[in-house]
Amino acid sequence: MTTADTVLAPARARTAATSATLRRKQGFQHGGWFVAPFLLLFTLFVIWPLLRGVYLSLTDANITGADAHFIGLDNYREALRDPLMWDALGHSAYFTLLVVPCITVLALLLAMLAHHIERGKWLWRLCFFAPFLLPSTVAGNLWQWLFNPGTGMINHVSGGDTPWLTDKSYAMLAVVVETLWWTVGFSFLLYLAALQSIPAHLYEAAKLDGANAWHRTVHITLPMLRNITGLVIALQILASLQVFDQAVVMMDFGPGPESSTRTFVQYTLEEGFTSYRVGYASAISIIFFVIIAAVALARMWLLRNRTEEATR
Amino acid sequence: MTTAVPVKPRKTWTPGQIVLTLLGTAVSVVLLAPLLWGLFTSLKSETEAVEVPPHWLPEDWTGQAWKALFETGNITSWFVNSLVVSVCVTFLVVLVSALAGYGFARTEFRGKGALMGLVMSGLMVSPAVLGVPLFTTVQQMGMVDTYWGMILPQCAPAAMVYILYKFFQGVPRELEEAAFIDGAGRWRVFLTIVVPLSRPSLSAVGIFTFIASWNNFLWPYMVTNNPDLMTMPNGIATVMNSYGIQWAQLMAGGLMAGLPLIVVFVFFQRQIVAGVAHTGLAGQ
Amino acid sequence: MGRPGLNRRQLLAGAGGLTVAGSLGFAALGTGADALASGARTRVRYWNLFSGGDGYNMIAMLDAFRRANLGIAVKDSTLQWGNPFYTKLAMAAAGNRAPDLGVMHIGRVAGFAPGRLLDAWDVGLLAEYGLRESDYNPKLWRRGIVDGRLYALPLDVHVQLCFYRKDVLRKAGLLGADDRMVPVTSVDDWFGVLEEARKATRKGLQTIGLWINDQNFQWWFFVAFYTQLGGTWFDDARTGVTFDTDKATQVLEFLRRHVTDGYANPAMGSVNAEQFINGAPFAWEGNWSVPVYSGAKLDYGAIPLPPVLGTRATHAESHAFVLPHRSDRGGATNEAAHRLAAYVVTHARQWAAGGHIPAHLPTLSTPAYRKLSPQNEYVSAMNHQANEPTVWFAGSTGILAQRVGPIVVSSTVGSAGPDAAARRMKSELATLLAMKNPMDGRTAAQGGTAA
Repeated sequence: MTTADTVLAPARARTAATSATLRRKQGFQHGGWFVAPFLLLFTLFVIWPLLRGVYLSLTDANITGADAHFIGLDNYREALRDPLMWDALGHSAYFTLLVVPCITVLALLLAMLAHHIERGKWLWRLCFFAPFLLPSTVAGNLWQWLFNPGTGMINHVSGGDTPWLTDKSYAMLAVVVETLWWTVGFSFLLYLAALQSIPAHLYEAAKLDGANAWHRTVHITLPMLRNITGLVIALQILASLQVFDQAVVMMDFGPGPESSTRTFVQYTLEEGFTSYRVGYASAISIIFFVIIAAVALARMWLLRNRTEEATR
Repeated sequence: MTTAVPVKPRKTWTPGQIVLTLLGTAVSVVLLAPLLWGLFTSLKSETEAVEVPPHWLPEDWTGQAWKALFETGNITSWFVNSLVVSVCVTFLVVLVSALAGYGFARTEFRGKGALMGLVMSGLMVSPAVLGVPLFTTVQQMGMVDTYWGMILPQCAPAAMVYILYKFFQGVPRELEEAAFIDGAGRWRVFLTIVVPLSRPSLSAVGIFTFIASWNNFLWPYMVTNNPDLMTMPNGIATVMNSYGIQWAQLMAGGLMAGLPLIVVFVFFQRQIVAGVAHTGLAGQ
Repeated sequence: MGRPGLNRRQLLAGAGGLTVAGSLGFAALGTGADALASGARTRVRYWNLFSGGDGYNMIAMLDAFRRANLGIAVKDSTLQWGNPFYTKLAMAAAGNRAPDLGVMHIGRVAGFAPGRLLDAWDVGLLAEYGLRESDYNPKLWRRGIVDGRLYALPLDVHVQLCFYRKDVLRKAGLLGADDRMVPVTSVDDWFGVLEEARKATRKGLQTIGLWINDQNFQWWFFVAFYTQLGGTWFDDARTGVTFDTDKATQVLEFLRRHVTDGYANPAMGSVNAEQFINGAPFAWEGNWSVPVYSGAKLDYGAIPLPPVLGTRATHAESHAFVLPHRSDRGGATNEAAHRLAAYVVTHARQWAAGGHIPAHLPTLSTPAYRKLSPQNEYVSAMNHQANEPTVWFAGSTGILAQRVGPIVVSSTVGSAGPDAAARRMKSELATLLAMKNPMDGRTAAQGGTAA
């Protein structure tokens, strides 16, 4: 983000220098007003909840908002010793670990397939992308129905007798399968766009050098897709850690067999809205925020290192 | 391979193409099968739907599930609610983030750098991460169970501001400066020069926002309790009709929620693909 | 770009503008399409958790009420049973946007902050509409009272039952002369019955469905059999755990044996009803399955869970009407809510068709009720209730069930040994006892709201 600024700044400075005075005069007049509506909403619904979350996490507030007492770091102390929180974090991490590599590889394969078929491009795009257009709850219900023992199609077609939704060793896998089907379309489109933006002359040159299709893929396509792969992985990690919708829908809003699909988000909401412990729920939300922020910052840091390498 | 297209205007069925097309067809069938299964289930009677073992096609094709869906009444109000919420969110997001993106890209004011950093940090906050404090905030404002309670918290998308900020940075300054010299003010330049130029980006942001908002479950789920006010994804998941889980009806309801976007996709797929890819890629 | 294109664009822009304006206007009104459509009469918003056959009966009763009270519009909404319902009810009450009337399980009332999330009933008003304390079993009425005020108005008692297929049992020689299942009083009896029934069961079906993966059902069954053994939970002061791990182990081993002996199929854990309808001889379910099985025209009966471990006892809960907190409660809407609740309680004959035992005693003693089958086979269960302990964290799908239920499941499905599971249950109970009720910051021992 700030990398963009530093990279682009010199170029901007050159073109803008001529009319700096004019720009300054015009800009000062209205600049704040352009940003004001956004800042208002942003303050109310992002900054303020964040600050409020930090405050609530230091209290024993309940959902009615009355009688909250300041209790220092007690909530955080409890959280670190709370096996359910660690379990939930583990489930979300396990889900992420399964989903991210699978979806990255699948999306890439689908994109290469759609990119290389010459006829009916729009049709492939539609077919591969359509599931993503469904609401999460609809996709969840659909797969709950598919995985249903006895009446569902999955066991019928595979001839198996697998207790997908009722056994703790399968339940999360069922959620993962549903997620792959539902969300692969998004990463697929990103890859497709990236494939289409690879300059054709690279391939022409390689062909002249006698490289076959496999070599062209390994030596041109994949390296050219490095940036987009980084993006896909980062977006998927952040989204997967925040998994909630499909898991609760497929498990009828319960925590799954032996609580094996209770995700972190679900646990926060349960503590806040089922046990009414808003203070404690805020504390674990803040812990979650720190984890998410760490992942996002790690990505920015990696990206900056790479950009610096590239510009050198 | 595809690079050959401009050279050879006529596409031929090479063995490679045949294999790829067959592969593509197979993948498509696998990906669309769940949707078809849902569609066929919705056209069965409730008893046929739960027959063991299951079968794909209904033996008796019946529209009873669809009919029952509309008779129970809720589905139509959920549809209207979804439309109202998504349209409002899309309108406000495009408006607010276009203004802010332009403000950050092309105007100067005190504390701009710091504010921009703050906005970037906002990328990490979502209802999934800070749902409980966000809910108590909205509760304090008295907006639980209102349209605005559903809409406004979806209208502070730092990501969209950032995307448009990057786009506006790429708009040639010379265009604006010519207008300034003619005596136009900031707002007129923005409305008559910058906005028309950025129509593709704005529509990309709009399309992406609409899809996200139409399909949004978590926040509407948290903030609405009154079934009259629920959106489609939320209503289908949480309010059962009063006769238990009836799979045929549930599938019909799901298709009702999902089909509009799929139909829209068929007609506007170029724009939607551009929109998703554009907004996604801008995160790079 | 040609002129036609321009026109179309203008048209699209106009239509888009209208949609946006319309949506913004609609959002500003903020009432929802349904409320707009409804007229100016008194409108009672009523949330319940009744689906399936219960939903059908509730709607029939509401329709009867509507016909009898044309001035009152009832807007009923069914939410998914379980956590979402209580969560949404609590949030709505906290956000001061609660419905005018709600339904809860009576075991949840203690933890639901009566006085804060719930408003008290006007007993005088109820009497005006024909419902008095004397119409109730005194013990049941008292369960609805907190700090001397009535917060929960019981509608029924509902119990866990052992459903059996008469056609299968007849083949297995397990029906008595009265065409009812032979009495079972010990563990050996019970598994003997299961063994005989298995022989008469079609292939591909399990012998008994007992929801082995469901933390709620497993918890309810545990409560039933643990109570049969005379087990207790906490001392009267709510300071110590009196949970007996030996007795608990005995119960867990009993539940587990259904799986190890092959009577319950783990893969069919979530499709008990479908299996029973297809011909499985036994299913342990709540009495709310009565209309489902009657609707499927099965030849079946239902008894309370068999007293195999000791005295007769089966898990029981009650649905109760509550008034979710509204700062503007009062006036015609509040009166209409009272009138509706009283009407439904006193016209519970229809409700009994859903398998529930009506709380309204005059209804219970009518000949019409006594003729209902299989209701007449298990009505005695009302007098042998196994209830969860009265503490703020108890009640249907409450924290107690959420924390302890999964431990029962882990034992039944075999991922934890029964004795280890029993010890974990005890330590979980100790943890809960020390926990403060978030609503008033007091532990169960400090009186809580449950006293």
